Amino acid sequence: MGDILGLVAKRLGMGLIILLVISIIIFFMVELLPGDIAQAVLGQGATPENLAALRKEMGLDQPAVLRYLHWLSGAVTLDFGNSIVTGASVAQTIGERFANTLFLAAYAAAIAVPISIVLGVLVALLRNSIFDRVANVATLTSISSPEFFLGYILILYLAVKTGMFPAIASLSNDMSFGDLLYRTFLPALTLVLVVTAHMMRMTRAAIINLLASPYIEMARLKGTPPWKVIVKHALPNAWAPIINVVALNLAYLITGVVLVEVVFVYPGIGQALVDAVSKRDFPVVQACCLIFAATFILLNLAADVGSILTNPRLRHPK
Amino acid sequence: MKKKTDQVLLDRLAQAARTGDISRRSFMHFAAAAGITASAATGLWGTSAAANPTPGGTFRWGVHDGNTSDTHDPGTYVTRQMIFLAHTHRSYLTLIEADNSLGPDLATSWEASPDAMQWTFELNPDASFHSGKPVTAQDVIDSLNHHRGDSSTSAAKALLTDVTDVTADGDHTVVVSLARGNADLPWLMTDYHFAICPSNGDGTIDWKSGDGTGPYKIDSGEFGIRWELTRHDGWHGEGAYFDKVTMLVLNDPNARQTALVTGDVDCVSLIELKTLALLQRNPDISVDNIPSGGAITMPMFCDTEPFSDVRVRTALKLAMNRDEIIEKIAFGAATKGNDFHLSPVQPYWPEDIPQREYDPDQAKSLLKEAGQEGLSVNLSVADSVYTGAVDMCVLYAEQAKAAGINIKVVREPSDGYYSDVWLKKPFSAVSWGARPTPDVMFTLAYKDDAAWNETRWQNERFNELLLQAKSELDETLRAEMYHEMCLLMRDDGGTLLPFFNNWVYARGKGVKRHEQVAASWGCDGARAASRWWFEA
Amino acid sequence: MSAFVIIYYTLLLGASCLAAYFNKRSAFLLLFSLTLVSFILGIIGGVSALRIVAILAGLLGLSAMVSYAFREFLIAIASHNLAKELRTAPLTAAFGMFVIFTVAIAGIFAPLIAPYGEAQVITSAFAPADANMLLGADQLGRDVFSRLVFGARNTVALALAGTVMAFLLGALAGLLAATTGGWFDQALARTSDVIMSIPSLIFALLMLSIFGGDLANDTTSFWLLTGFAGVVGLLMVTAIFENSIVGWAVGLAVLVGVSTAFSGFMLIIFNPSEIILILVVAVIYSPRVFRLTRAVAGNVVVMDYIEAAKLRGEKTWYLIRREILPNSTAPLVAEFGLEFCFVFLLIAGLSFLGLGIQPPTADWGSMVRENATLISFGDITPLIPAAAIALLTVAVNFVVDWMLYRSSGLKV
Repeated sequence: MGDILGLVAKRLGMGLIILLVISIIIFFMVELLPGDIAQAVLGQGATPENLAALRKEMGLDQPAVLRYLHWLSGAVTLDFGNSIVTGASVAQTIGERFANTLFLAAYAAAIAVPISIVLGVLVALLRNSIFDRVANVATLTSISSPEFFLGYILILYLAVKTGMFPAIASLSNDMSFGDLLYRTFLPALTLVLVVTAHMMRMTRAAIINLLASPYIEMARLKGTPPWKVIVKHALPNAWAPIINVVALNLAYLITGVVLVEVVFVYPGIGQALVDAVSKRDFPVVQACCLIFAATFILLNLAADVGSILTNPRLRHPK
Repeated sequence: MKKKTDQVLLDRLAQAARTGDISRRSFMHFAAAAGITASAATGLWGTSAAANPTPGGTFRWGVHDGNTSDTHDPGTYVTRQMIFLAHTHRSYLTLIEADNSLGPDLATSWEASPDAMQWTFELNPDASFHSGKPVTAQDVIDSLNHHRGDSSTSAAKALLTDVTDVTADGDHTVVVSLARGNADLPWLMTDYHFAICPSNGDGTIDWKSGDGTGPYKIDSGEFGIRWELTRHDGWHGEGAYFDKVTMLVLNDPNARQTALVTGDVDCVSLIELKTLALLQRNPDISVDNIPSGGAITMPMFCDTEPFSDVRVRTALKLAMNRDEIIEKIAFGAATKGNDFHLSPVQPYWPEDIPQREYDPDQAKSLLKEAGQEGLSVNLSVADSVYTGAVDMCVLYAEQAKAAGINIKVVREPSDGYYSDVWLKKPFSAVSWGARPTPDVMFTLAYKDDAAWNETRWQNERFNELLLQAKSELDETLRAEMYHEMCLLMRDDGGTLLPFFNNWVYARGKGVKRHEQVAASWGCDGARAASRWWFEA
Repeated sequence: MSAFVIIYYTLLLGASCLAAYFNKRSAFLLLFSLTLVSFILGIIGGVSALRIVAILAGLLGLSAMVSYAFREFLIAIASHNLAKELRTAPLTAAFGMFVIFTVAIAGIFAPLIAPYGEAQVITSAFAPADANMLLGADQLGRDVFSRLVFGARNTVALALAGTVMAFLLGALAGLLAATTGGWFDQALARTSDVIMSIPSLIFALLMLSIFGGDLANDTTSFWLLTGFAGVVGLLMVTAIFENSIVGWAVGLAVLVGVSTAFSGFMLIIFNPSEIILILVVAVIYSPRVFRLTRAVAGNVVVMDYIEAAKLRGEKTWYLIRREILPNSTAPLVAEFGLEFCFVFLLIAGLSFLGLGIQPPTADWGSMVRENATLISFGDITPLIPAAAIALLTVAVNFVVDWMLYRSSGLKV
């Protein structure tokens, strides 16, 4: 167990360094974007005079490095500063939206992960049967349509034509939990369709990969029924790649859902990030990107720890 | 605004009231202008009015173009979300009525000095902020000064450069002094930036709180997501029939469309023109297709080769088949342009200027004359300019091939288009919102020294006429001057103007409006919330 | 009861009986369950539902026949060894190969196949399909079929170039990292962590906004491409020449020449904004490839035969080429299939945000986006390019599945 704690500590330390590097990259990328905040805010209404006044008011007349260091000195104390455009604190600007994003990701994951693992095991058991082919074609088709288009199709059939679910997932504060689940069903379903294929295929591949191993042969020769071979013997050793791909998809559910948010008008963090990029609102962009990066790093760490814990050979290295 | 009894005006008013062309408020105002007393006017209204709005209900309004980083600062209003919200929770000195005439908002009346260099606005003494504070001259002065001076960050700064001073004359009178005469100042006050906010007492305004003097007050809301508003009982105007208003930001065209079809909202501020015909087939939905003064322009730099030759500019203007563009890009929801920036729904539109038609042969011969046969130019455009703007340019490029012109369409990133492409690239596509009068538009974008002179056009006669017309109070003379200016723009200017885009918005079942709607913005001059009602 | 329904059930039941008689268990199960499902469908959906089932079954049968014929055709023209391999291909893989083949033909000979030009306006907006236009017209009155054919060329070329470049960089770096280990390995691994931690769509948005405007010109894209080729080449030179100074000098000279030639070549095929797009895609996806390659190669590196080769004094390049690469091809090929699809979709997603391929160039992603709203009215215009994307993705993955299956050594 001590080894794992050591690994976690080491990885967390490394994660902090990665976050620092990312913050530098993001800062300079935002700086490199054509136009600055003042121009983005005034848009077509910009003249040299009001640009100069606005730049001064926003503190853009300071050199870039100074502004970055100023931001960094706040960030190390977990104060991510204020949005330059609106003046509101970043935490306040994106806090609730991040919670919304997490909720949607959790909702989609709660459906997608069990389905894809069960399906994956099933198609591994019934490999090369009609069922395997159909499941493969269906999931591949669903990931190969652009996700905004998948959303449009779901809206057409489940909202416009049949009226079973609301077309837009706008939230209000006085919603009950059941209502919330109902209103956000379509975006969650879209995400499920997007991530299921990858996880299912990886589960299938990981299991099939093991089926040629001698110990599986052995189990089969002993007369163990096929489903038992897979569930009892193959699956435990296949967890590592499965957990990894699940982590990758969970990260995607949190960081990659901008288009689904736009299509379903869901107030998540992705839209806020795209808006902030278009306004060159550096503190908000930075905070969003760091949240995403931290999510990714933590999920990866969890996946690695999970792989070790589920695999006795990794748990007790020689 | 001279006061005299005017029978013709009275008759027209009664007629307008009967057909529902005019709101009760403007009826009262014009009746007063026509010289009859308030009680007599009320009686006249009661007998003439056809439409009978009923109060009540929550108006759910799906609006396009909202951004998370918007603010309540009137100086940096830019998205439609903020423009619609501003017209719902704030007020202006004057407003554009449903019949596109100028009407009173916070100011009940206004008068100019004979040289139009000083304007006096009388404020409505009943007007109050949502906080309960009455509106005083100081609030107006500070609100206007928010857009003036060196430290101002307002995007509307350029509109008020001629204003030398704004002073109070008592609690309810504001005097605006100008460096040179401007007959259009009351029109200028309808610009969406000049919303009146409460004064902080130190010369600044409190825009952060979202307090205003409009028909609805903000209960709660989040920029780029949604707004909840309730009727402001102390509102100084007429209308505001809905009890509550919910504004939902729906940036995705498909989301707006389906929300309207499924009844999740009562009105959407923009529909995709591709689906216009399909949506019109739905009996539960009424589509409003309103000609406007908003224009798509394609400015060419008049000081840059090859556009510096007027023959090249004219050839490019002739090489566009506007009818096909309107049919395929705007799906009919547009008014054909004639290369001058004044639309038929705006005042002083010169109707006798012949329409420029597609003529690739003439374009070819003009180019030959100019020694520019086989001309090749780049045309910059971004998706954000107008729905289908990129397609429009691609189509234009195909049309221009008939004139031997090779147009290479460059799709620029939407992001930063107005800071990096507009005014920087010699040939681009731009979208302009409607300005209330030709003077405002011409001064902003066609005057030789204007910051936004997008064509870098220098025409002495035009600039001379522009200054003369600005302070001319005689309507006929003024109209003649604008006529000549339009001709100059059309034949010498650097702007290729394909069309004036219509406002195309849609209402769900049960939402009623007066027969006429304002053309200054979509959704009845952005005032749908205070002008429309639910059928009882 | 119409004749259609009678024939429908007769055929199904007859086929089920035949299958049962000849002891084809799975075929019987499939056919008979289809019969049972049809009873329910027929009651709920009426004749039209049965018609759809019949059409689908017909399509399935047709594609099975095409796949079979295509496989036999390939076997007939292939060399003896290749033919032996091809015989093991299931029908799905044959189908995949057929689709890829078709798309490739469409892409290569687009100007000959397409009846009209890519940007040619020929009729009114959304004109319906007729004898001249197989799939009708789009908003500007351009032939949808022609644009689909040209789209195959543009989209596939772009996605393929992006994926190949991502693989060149990622796989090379991964192999080298796994073989050399140490600080080199760590540095590359952490760099890839950084890039992967930034969401791909946002990363693309930022990079395309930076390089999308004025910077998308011949000079910039030439230097960026040369830089990219330089990095890949440097990795190669490191692997081949290790510590020999003369080798390095020669290697660098060759590298400069090759990367310049490569950039020039790319500039002939693609325009600058497309090159920027390809590079962005390559940078975003190479870390994924790197991680996978490193993991797979890491497993191979610890094998005894590698130890033996090292003791023999073999060079890194030899190890990579002769020992590691042959033993890690299968997962890399599988990853290539999936990544190719993801790149495809990323480009489509980018065009949803208004970044992507320059008009009037046709690409499938933006063809979907342009008309996406029409789907709400049941108009199938946007479904055509979407179906093209889906078909190609499925096809690629069918082939990948077959390769994976072969490499897993599983005989059941």
